[in-house]
Amino acid sequence: MTPTRTPHALDVQGLRVTLPGTARPVLDGVDLHVAAGETVALVGESGSGKSLTSRGALGLLPPGATVAGRIRVRGHDVLAMKPEQLRALRTDTVAMIFQDPRAALNPMRRIGDFLVESVTLTRTMNRADATARAGELLQAVGLDASALRAYPGQVSGGMLQRVMIAAALMGDPELLLADEPTTALDVTTQAEVVALLAELRARFRTGLLFVTHDLDLAAAISDRVYVMYAGRIAESGPAEALFARPRHPYTAALLASTPRLEAPGGRLAAIGGHPPDLRRELTGCPFAARCPLATELCERQAPEQRTAPGLPDHRAACHHTDRLEGSPVDA
Amino acid sequence: MTAVLTRRPGLARLRTARSPLHPLCLGLVGLVTAAALLAPWIVPHDPNAVDLGNALAGPSAAHPLGVDAAGRDTLSRLLLGARTSLLGPLGVVLFSTLAGLAIGMAAAWRGGWLDSVLSRSTELVFAFPGMLLAILVVSVHGEGLLAPVIALSLAYLPYVSRLTRSLVLAERARPYVSAYRVQGHSAPQICLRHVLPNIAPVVLAQSAINFGYALMDLAGLSFLGLGVPALTPDWGRMVFDGQTAVQHGYPLSAVLPCVFIVLTVVAFNVVGERWADRVARRDR
Amino acid sequence: MPDNALEAVGLHRAFGSVPAVDDVSFVLPEGGSLGIVGESGSGKTTTARIVVGLERADAGEVRVRGRARATGGGGRAGRLARAREVQMVFQDPYLSLDPRTSVEQVLRETLRLHFPGTDHDRRVRELLDQVGLGTRAADARPRQLSGGQRQRVAIARALAVEPAVLVLDEAVAALDVSVQAQILNLLADIREQTRIGYLFITHDLGVVRRVTDDVIVMRRGRVVEAGRTSEVLAAPGHPYTRLLLESVPRPGWDPAAIAAARRAL
Repeated sequence: MTPTRTPHALDVQGLRVTLPGTARPVLDGVDLHVAAGETVALVGESGSGKSLTSRGALGLLPPGATVAGRIRVRGHDVLAMKPEQLRALRTDTVAMIFQDPRAALNPMRRIGDFLVESVTLTRTMNRADATARAGELLQAVGLDASALRAYPGQVSGGMLQRVMIAAALMGDPELLLADEPTTALDVTTQAEVVALLAELRARFRTGLLFVTHDLDLAAAISDRVYVMYAGRIAESGPAEALFARPRHPYTAALLASTPRLEAPGGRLAAIGGHPPDLRRELTGCPFAARCPLATELCERQAPEQRTAPGLPDHRAACHHTDRLEGSPVDA
Repeated sequence: MTAVLTRRPGLARLRTARSPLHPLCLGLVGLVTAAALLAPWIVPHDPNAVDLGNALAGPSAAHPLGVDAAGRDTLSRLLLGARTSLLGPLGVVLFSTLAGLAIGMAAAWRGGWLDSVLSRSTELVFAFPGMLLAILVVSVHGEGLLAPVIALSLAYLPYVSRLTRSLVLAERARPYVSAYRVQGHSAPQICLRHVLPNIAPVVLAQSAINFGYALMDLAGLSFLGLGVPALTPDWGRMVFDGQTAVQHGYPLSAVLPCVFIVLTVVAFNVVGERWADRVARRDR
Repeated sequence: MPDNALEAVGLHRAFGSVPAVDDVSFVLPEGGSLGIVGESGSGKTTTARIVVGLERADAGEVRVRGRARATGGGGRAGRLARAREVQMVFQDPYLSLDPRTSVEQVLRETLRLHFPGTDHDRRVRELLDQVGLGTRAADARPRQLSGGQRQRVAIARALAVEPAVLVLDEAVAALDVSVQAQILNLLADIREQTRIGYLFITHDLGVVRRVTDDVIVMRRGRVVEAGRTSEVLAAPGHPYTRLLLESVPRPGWDPAAIAAARRAL
């Protein structure tokens, strides 16, 4: 990266995380970036390492983890930060929204106190200013300022998630990490939350990393998508290209196994087998055991990221990406 | 599972995590239990053999821990005393655990009026000091171990039943219980085969803690001369008998049983709490 | 006229003054599959719980194969008879199995209760085979199994009773997409083999389209639309059904317009 360009909101390079008691790294060479004002979706199934990746950007890694590689937020190395720098990072630069807003809120405290507390505790703002800003943000997320006086138990899940978004924006973050923010919500509420995030991103030029298991949702909302499998990036690229012409058999299989409204009836193309066990070492491609295109090469050698012809941004880690089109997994 | 065990104020501060305290206490519990079991075979002297000529003698080869004011061997009395001192609390814990489980389970499962009646009546017992109840029962019933054990069982019952009730309420809300109901299993079947084994470790941990407290209470009663018959060796009774010896400057025969009571109570407390901790961590 | 597998007539249920289920009726033909679609608070789960007997209805009746379903009583025989009418698979595969009971024990318990004196070894193998679990899984405790495997166990347990109707309450909602597809295919196979009736409670229209013949759409305790699944999804009659359909993310999706439509409704 040249020093004249503004650094990415988030830049992860070769991130490798090993946990005690596992035979292979839970994250194995993850490369990912989110530019300022960009929406990036990180898609994967449970255990793929998608949540771990996003938490890494906040410097939140499980105790006992061995970390290699680099995580930079606006050019600052997160892994080299001292505890007080990390705290500053979490209040000023990066914010996170979780799947279950109820679990993240103290039921005995008013919503207003929750919003104000995060910024007044670090003395970045005085209480009066913070309260004014909280009221403003609640209106921005479509809530009445009177919600400041309500308790979490008095409002619905969708409203609480909007409160969480308002709370995340209190410190004017440059990067917003949303970990399955709509999974616990109804579909119509999900649409509202997503619309809100898009609007706020445009207004505040916040980089957004949207972690989800829902491919269709990722396709609908993001500029670029990363698909993770067993701790590695299987495929990455512009949302449209990736969904129209997947270059990794896993992405293709995942797309084929999603029940859709438009697709013809009959049986779904389920992916057989299970993701690889963390307790076993992995020599070749992690998807080889479940992949219809797998050859002896896949068992032996982990594939490199390859660029699609004519699309430098669209990459897939597959030996046989060229054979994918017209194959049984290409639905 | 977020079960909170009931502990008395002073002992609740004993932190058991990551310290050698736990294996030490476990060893002590084992040692005291072994002593109680094997006492009749390992005692060096007849615990009731009076030798007034040798009264209040210090430690010697024949009497390693000395003798008391009546010339009885302290070591033998301590060993045999462990029997009565452990048997009483055992009875208390057995009865209070079984009855507490039954009552707590019935209250939580049935709910409604039964829950109200059972919960109120156990609270009533809670409000009444256990020792006072025991003294009352003993004074009516007279000498013997049975009366104070029953009285203290009643006093300890609410600890178990209240804990059981909250555990069963939480367990009952889990879908697997609904699943068994849909399958056609009867309520008692589900309770005994599935709910009980899942809550038992926590309840037993509370019972282990109760064991220590019951030991303390029973020792207190026999110190007051209530309960244990005069000649039966018992730690509480030994402290009482040793009073005069302390006044004469020979504290060993009274201090030793005191030490044993305190150590045993602490040991049971630590073991119980640690057990509950482990169950909570293992839980799913 | 052949009997319907399941019939609900005018179900009502209120919690306090809030009606959770308000005049809900539907018919599930023998061997059919009916979806109940709705968002949280629509009353779909309460309806399911009334059907299986975990909740009582204030008014209305549930009939299985033409016979009114008793709400309680009848002792052991009544309990077992009710269990053989309707079985249920719950949403959370991590909580719907007793953590202490192994897969084989789970099935044996049910078989002992419902079919004492038959060859349980053979039946356990059959059931495991039917849900695609190897005999190796038989000794496993729930914590050793993945979410998809646990849900297979839950399905096997329900099938062991040989019920007329299987209620699936968001049974694939907690699973990963690839596993969800496996379970949906499994359920389709089982229906083909056994002619069991499915009552499928879900919020996911994609799932409804795959596994149901008929669908009812619920909102605030009431049925707002009912019909053949293909017809309802192709040409929704009620604005709420339309909103639900439009809310499903797809390329070119406009969440802002949906949010506006939702507020307007």
